[in-house]
Amino acid sequence: MRHGRWRFLAGALIPALVLHVVFVLSPYAQAFYLSLTDWTGVAGEAHFVGADNYRRLAGDSLFVDAVRNNALLLVVVPLVTIAIGLFLASMLHLGGRGGRRAVAGSGAYQIIYFFPQLLSLVVVAVLWSFVYNPNTGLLNGALRALGLGGMAASWLASPSLALPAVMAVLVWSSVGFYVVLFSAAIDGIPVELFEAAVLDGAGGWATFRNVTLPLVRDTVQVAFVYLGIAALDAFAVVQVMTVGPGGPDGATEVIGLSLYRNAFQYGKFGYASAMGVALFFATLTLAVFALRGGRRSTVEAS
Amino acid sequence: MTLSVSPPRSSPSPPAPADDRPARAPRSVRTLPVHVAMLAWSVVTALPLLWAVVSSFKTDDEILNHPWSLPSTPQPGNWARAWTEASIGRYFFNSLVVVGGALALTMLLGSLVAYALARYEFRGNRIIYYTFVAAMFFPVFLALVPLFFVVQQLGLLGTYQGLILVYAAYAVPFTVFFLHAFFRSLPAEVAEAAFLDGCSHGAVFFRVMLPMARPGLVAVGIFNFLGLWNQYLLPLVLNPDPDRYVLAQGLAALSVSQGYRSDWSGLFAGLTIAMLPVLIAYVAFQRHIRAGMTAGAVK
Amino acid sequence: MSPTRRTLIRTALTAGAAVPLLSACVTGGSDDDDPAAGNTGAKSADNPLGVKADAPLEVVIFKGGYGDEYAKHAETLYTQKYAGAKIDHKGLQKVGVALQPRFVANTPPDVVDNTGADRLDIAVLVGAKQVSDLTTLLDAPAFDDPSKKLRDTLLPGVVDDGTFDKVPRTLNFTYTVWGLWYSKKLFAAKGWAYPKTWDDMLALCATIKAAGIAPWTYQGKYPEYINDPLLSMAAKTGGLELVKAVDNLEPNAWKAPGLVSAAEAFAELAAKGYIMGGSEALSHTEAQAAWCQGKAAFIPCGSWLESEQKGVTPDGFDMVMGPVPSRTASDRLKQTAVQAASSESFLVPAKAKNPAGGMEYLRILFSKQSAKAFAESAGTLPAVAGATDGLTLSSGLSSVRDAVQAAGPETFTYRFRTWYAPLAKAVDDATGELVNKRITAAQWSERIQKAADGIAKDSSVQKYTR
Repeated sequence: MRHGRWRFLAGALIPALVLHVVFVLSPYAQAFYLSLTDWTGVAGEAHFVGADNYRRLAGDSLFVDAVRNNALLLVVVPLVTIAIGLFLASMLHLGGRGGRRAVAGSGAYQIIYFFPQLLSLVVVAVLWSFVYNPNTGLLNGALRALGLGGMAASWLASPSLALPAVMAVLVWSSVGFYVVLFSAAIDGIPVELFEAAVLDGAGGWATFRNVTLPLVRDTVQVAFVYLGIAALDAFAVVQVMTVGPGGPDGATEVIGLSLYRNAFQYGKFGYASAMGVALFFATLTLAVFALRGGRRSTVEAS
Repeated sequence: MTLSVSPPRSSPSPPAPADDRPARAPRSVRTLPVHVAMLAWSVVTALPLLWAVVSSFKTDDEILNHPWSLPSTPQPGNWARAWTEASIGRYFFNSLVVVGGALALTMLLGSLVAYALARYEFRGNRIIYYTFVAAMFFPVFLALVPLFFVVQQLGLLGTYQGLILVYAAYAVPFTVFFLHAFFRSLPAEVAEAAFLDGCSHGAVFFRVMLPMARPGLVAVGIFNFLGLWNQYLLPLVLNPDPDRYVLAQGLAALSVSQGYRSDWSGLFAGLTIAMLPVLIAYVAFQRHIRAGMTAGAVK
Repeated sequence: MSPTRRTLIRTALTAGAAVPLLSACVTGGSDDDDPAAGNTGAKSADNPLGVKADAPLEVVIFKGGYGDEYAKHAETLYTQKYAGAKIDHKGLQKVGVALQPRFVANTPPDVVDNTGADRLDIAVLVGAKQVSDLTTLLDAPAFDDPSKKLRDTLLPGVVDDGTFDKVPRTLNFTYTVWGLWYSKKLFAAKGWAYPKTWDDMLALCATIKAAGIAPWTYQGKYPEYINDPLLSMAAKTGGLELVKAVDNLEPNAWKAPGLVSAAEAFAELAAKGYIMGGSEALSHTEAQAAWCQGKAAFIPCGSWLESEQKGVTPDGFDMVMGPVPSRTASDRLKQTAVQAASSESFLVPAKAKNPAGGMEYLRILFSKQSAKAFAESAGTLPAVAGATDGLTLSSGLSSVRDAVQAAGPETFTYRFRTWYAPLAKAVDDATGELVNKRITAAQWSERIQKAADGIAKDSSVQKYTR
């Protein structure tokens, strides 16, 4: 049996590891090295400059804007998406006894909610730039039609509205998936738990807090990680949709965009790699904390 | 907490969509605000998409001057133009080949790794796990140029095989991350029973554990499909031959040329052509997808 | 399952052998061997660049607003002359991303049209010694007039635009003039005259606004569009010295009175509400479409506007371009002076396999017959002198040609945009803030000066002077 065990492990791990090392780790390792050079990205030569690129980061005001915006995205997008997703998913189950039967039409809702997930982010961004157009766009048009013309705004060109407008697009495009995911998780909770809660006289909110939430915690945790990665990226939406892009005046700058601009437009590939490495460690730290925290609370709950 | 193990085809019954009993008045009153909330989000979701579809039948002038109205005469020419100029059909086929191949490979490798790491204790287990997981947090475009050389050296530049391998390599980390937790949560007794029956390690995985993990596989499969289908940066660099363009590349070319020729209607038609098949496929398979995900939560 | 495994194992083996080479490849590629070896022929009067007749040629063209038919036309002429040559033509949108690894790998194409939003930074390419010296091409006889050197058939300033540190590196195919565009029909119907001075402009804007039309709009999503008239106005006030001081990153160049007062002019335009509401969020296509629909009277743009708007311009709109008005009576340059520069940069990579063929291709492309065909199909001025002779020009293109003639020697261009891309970004951002009334003209010049000083101090940036 032992022999078979090692053979199985080798067969299971080695192909994926080879693929991983060749196509993922080796390019990344080179990028780490490049972050210590002045490589332009267009020629075969580079000079070692040590930590110079990293020292420049703090003085780069656009990069500082980008870090701030990414931090905001990282907090707001997952929270709002998961809140809306959980809300809608629980609503889908409010229809029946025990608070866990699907409402009428729940299948249709789940289909419609899922639509935006099926579009590439580039397409989503193109669509929304038409929605946000201040003069002919869908949003201002709808506001005016509802007699709320006073709320019409130049969404992507006002420094205070541009980032929330980007966040809204990211939330819009991801909520559907999480409604379906959370809805599935709620379906998996044994009915008896809901019935017991109802017998105890718990209201909708109490049932949600005491029954639903603890039992979908794992799913929520995975959602946080995935949404967090999406929020740290946000590159496609910002690049297609915003003024500048990244504007007005840095209001929607994200690290991905700074990095892209430096690597491909300014010929500062070494510097861009340093941004990437910094981003990598920041994300990794956050993820470790998030997962650690999550695990501990799971242990306490059980 | 019962799990059917042996027949892999037995799909868990989908949740009853609605109660059969006639609705009592108080309940419909109670659910009214619920329906309002649900409907509101439907409108927010569907409206921009519908608008794009309607706009694809309008003239440029109508799109600019009457963004709200329906087309006075539908313009099928927009679709024809997008179809021929942007070769959407061919790109669609290319996307299908590449994403299909990569998805199969990703699921196979990802589930093997996740299972091996989740269910076997051995030295280096944690290190391998973190090596995979850490890769989720690095921005892909920094790897692009070095990656180009790797792919070129292997003689895989601009080939379906090359794209499939690279796509799979970049999708495996998330698959491992997702399925690792899933395999851990599966009960150990079933596997032990299978070992006692004389199954080999491979047979236990393919015949027992994989079917049990099917819901998780469906969920991560959807994640992966969507991610791979929308992949744009990797093909941009690794797939330079216009005949092998995937859909995202084709659409980008269309929207760039829109930027120079102001062909709004053509752009909307291209967007619609690109999204319709995916929508149709989702609507057709959504029962299976949701059934899979529903069962995914039963642990 | 087994084929997948086998493929993987094969991949693994090849990869194992390849990995050590890879690191050498991205950063220390050897350039000892000459990639062009064996790809040159004997020079003769008919073949001044020494093309090897059967050497293959790879041409990469930016396929944007002008398409790539004109380039294919020149390729046909090339194969007529060298029947054995096989031409590999690629029309791309993302030129930079597609070509970057090929430059690093020392396997670039033979001719590149390095244009479009995703082009490679030319200053960086030149700094990395990736671009051939085009002197021999410029001194070769013109393709359809052997009595003249190629350099003498080009419009003024074209050679300079492609010169880096006194060496010609790129050759730009189109000639762009920047100004303010309006509809001749609309202005005739309302009895409005194109303003020559900024005071006249403000007076006219009041009239236009009273008529219920927005006086100005601009491509707000890309603030560089409104930069052009602002910087043009400053150049007219301060003369070429101001332009050079800016390009040479001289201390306090951006605090010159000419620049500050031009910034004040545009701040005033915004403050008086003469810019169409919502412009700040419109893309170039959206703003230009609104202007074509008569929602605004003026729009700043380069001379490509007419061809870009071909599909959406109403019949009889008669768009024409006028030079930016003078700010003061004591301006150094006349009001007719225009900002003009060549663009659509063609280059021959230094590591090309067939550089002689690449240059020969450019000699054919820059012939009068190719340029004329381009002017006809693209509706844009080529950089070749006299290419529009004998053609019936549209209203926009003829107004551009007239503007070039009226300007005579008084054309100018800023080079800092190509030399220092980060400075261009800082200027765009500041101007966007200025015309949205979020900063004053003084703050505008202050923050751009800071950005320029930062670049001047940065030893990692290669500097150019003019």
